[in-house]
Order: sequence, then C-alpha cells, then structure tokens
Amino acid sequence: MRVDLHSAFVLHQRSYRETSLLLEIFSLRSGRVGLIAKGANRQRSAFRGALQFFRPLLLAWAGRGELATLVGAEIDGPFSALSGRALLSAFYLNELLTRVLHRDDPHPALFAAYRQALETLAQAGNEEPALRLFEKRLLEDIGYGLSLRFDVDTNAPIEPERDYYYQSDKGPWRNPPAHIDTVKVQGRTLIALAAALLHEPEVLSESKRLMRFILASHIGGRPLASRQLFN
Amino acid sequence: MAFHLLQRNRDGAQRLAEALLAAMAGVNHCERCRNLSDIPLCAICASERRDPSVLCVVENPADVQSIEQAAAFQGKYFVLIGRLSPLDGVGPEAIGIDKLKNLLNGGEVKEVIIATGATAEGEATAHYIGEVARATGLRATRIAHGIPLGGELEYVDSTTLSHAIACRRDL
Repeated sequence: MRVDLHSAFVLHQRSYRETSLLLEIFSLRSGRVGLIAKGANRQRSAFRGALQFFRPLLLAWAGRGELATLVGAEIDGPFSALSGRALLSAFYLNELLTRVLHRDDPHPALFAAYRQALETLAQAGNEEPALRLFEKRLLEDIGYGLSLRFDVDTNAPIEPERDYYYQSDKGPWRNPPAHIDTVKVQGRTLIALAAALLHEPEVLSESKRLMRFILASHIGGRPLASRQLFN
Repeated sequence: MAFHLLQRNRDGAQRLAEALLAAMAGVNHCERCRNLSDIPLCAICASERRDPSVLCVVENPADVQSIEQAAAFQGKYFVLIGRLSPLDGVGPEAIGIDKLKNLLNGGEVKEVIIATGATAEGEATAHYIGEVARATGLRATRIAHGIPLGGELEYVDSTTLSHAIACRRDL
C-alpha cells in the first residue's frame, strides 16, 4: 500500500540503528502513523532537515503492518519557529496526541485544530487558552465531548454564579451523589469553555484543573512527562 | 569484525576485551560536571587555568570533545547526558538538573552558555535551563545558529537561513 504526499506533522522521533529514524506522525488522511525513515541521519539523506517537529510537512510512505517506510518528505510552506514556553506547550500537544489517539485512525478535524493550535502558540503569550481549546477539541473528536450547558441531573441551564461538580464523561452536577468522583468548577468557567472565550485568569486556572481531571481517564495511568517542564 | 578477530587477530581481540573491561570498571562520571572521567573530579573541573565563572552546558561528552578541539573556550562544562524529551519520559531529573542547580548556586558561575543542539528538543532543554539560570540571577546565553563558514547561501536549508536572518548582528 502506498500513501501519496499529503499534510502531516512529526509527533515524535528517535534514532534507530546507525542512520535511521523511527517516526510517529500525525497525518491529515491517516491520523497517527508509525514510520521508519531509512538513512534519515545520513549526511546526504533527502529527508535530512525536513523531519522537524511542529513544522507543516508533506509526507508519503509505503508498506503495510505496524511500521511503514517513509518514501517522501517535503517542507510544506513557511512556518514560525516556536520557542520558550510555547515550545514546551507544543511538546505537550504531541504527548497528548500520542497517548490518546490510536494508530491509523483518521481525525481530519483534529488535524486542523492541531495546526491552528501551533499557529496560536507561535504568537507568544497565548499558550494557556490554546492548550485548553485544543484539549476540548481533542475530547470532542474522540467522542467524549464536554457537556457544558446543562446540569446533567436536572437539565437546568448552567448559571454563571453557581458552583458545579463535573463528572468525567458525564457532565456538571449541582448536587452529585456522594460516591462519584467529581471536580468542582464554577458555572462561568463552564460557560466560557462552551463559548471558547478563555481570558480571565480564574477561568483559565479552573479550566486547566477541569481538563486535567477529565483527561486523566483517557491518557492511562502514567502522568504526562511534558507537564513536569512547566513550573 | 567478529570473524576477523576470531580468525586472524586473537591477540588484538584479547587486548580489546581487556581495554573494554578496564573502561567499564574505571570510567565513571565526574562528580562536578557529569562528563566521563576515570578520576572522581575530571581534569577540566580540577584545572586551575580554566575560568570557573563561565559554564558551558552541553548534551553529551562528545560535545565537550568537539568544543575542546575548537580550542576557543576557556570556561568549564556541565554535561546533561541527554536532553529533555518528554515523549521518551526524559524529564529534568534525568538530565541532572538538580546537580546543575547546586553548581549554579555555588557562587562561582556568572554566565551559563547553553550549547544544546539546534533541534526542537535541544531548544526546549535550552529554554528550561535558561529559566533555571535566570531564577538564580545568572546571565544565560545561547550559542548562535547560522550559516556555516565557507558556506554559500544558495545551499543552506531554509530553516537555518531564516534563523540566520532573524539573528543577524550589526557590523
């Protein structure tokens, strides 16, 4: 099977044997894919210099099974290099995608959201809202979209001044049963997340806590290593 | 190589095996800079002639050797033995950040030159160490990236070229 050149990003790469690389990529048409880039570390390799993180690429590959072989790699237009906190944030996005997505499962809408998030990160100072909105899109895309408008128990609309208790994969409760695991969140944070308008510091920090709580059940037991880098 | 040694050079193979054993037993990490060394404090760290106020942070022992061969640097080193790579589970403690912090808090160092690679992971590592250095109130600098000497612009890749233009300096 051969997949022609199309949009993709490198999520992760590591050296393999003397001169090759093992790649984990996120492609528009195929989702997360594992590839081997043979000879990519050689001085004269055609792939050298192209296979960079966070850079829009066009990739083509051939083969079947777990690991296909990279057969083409081109840089797809200009991009703004990330630095500082934005760069650490971008690594967080990559770690999240490799942990949450299954291989060979296309997510074209999420691909667009990833590209958008990287562009937002490149304009420094917007890291937190960009990360929260990407997390929200990620959950929607894998079928666990947040429920942000109504109390799951009473169906009453969320009121900004009240406190709610969010249950993972279910939604906010005013009065949850005692035995379920929830995280407390203000109504206005839920409303701000629904409208994708994250400006106030308090809303941002509550959104972060909420997302962390919800994502925990989708990323497995190991904590995300890129979170350690923020302090 | 295995066939050659077994058929034609058994003495050589014996010497090679002994050398490897001796290296495995004798070579450890310098207790100050983490570079490979067969004595507890490596020759560079112990040297009186090197300037302790400038500390160059590199990823690997091979990088120390490269910079030493270029012979332009008179300060001391710190070797991370790797770089931050969250997706491989390599976090700050795996690259000896605690040890680096102790060194920076020791009072001798005035400037930290961050000479990690020009890759995304190298940049992330540089940013992290830069923050650590600034938190200690030290000057942190990053090595320059750009056009190699003797290089024609025409043959330089576009990322390096755009970086070189962004980091231009006054003549």
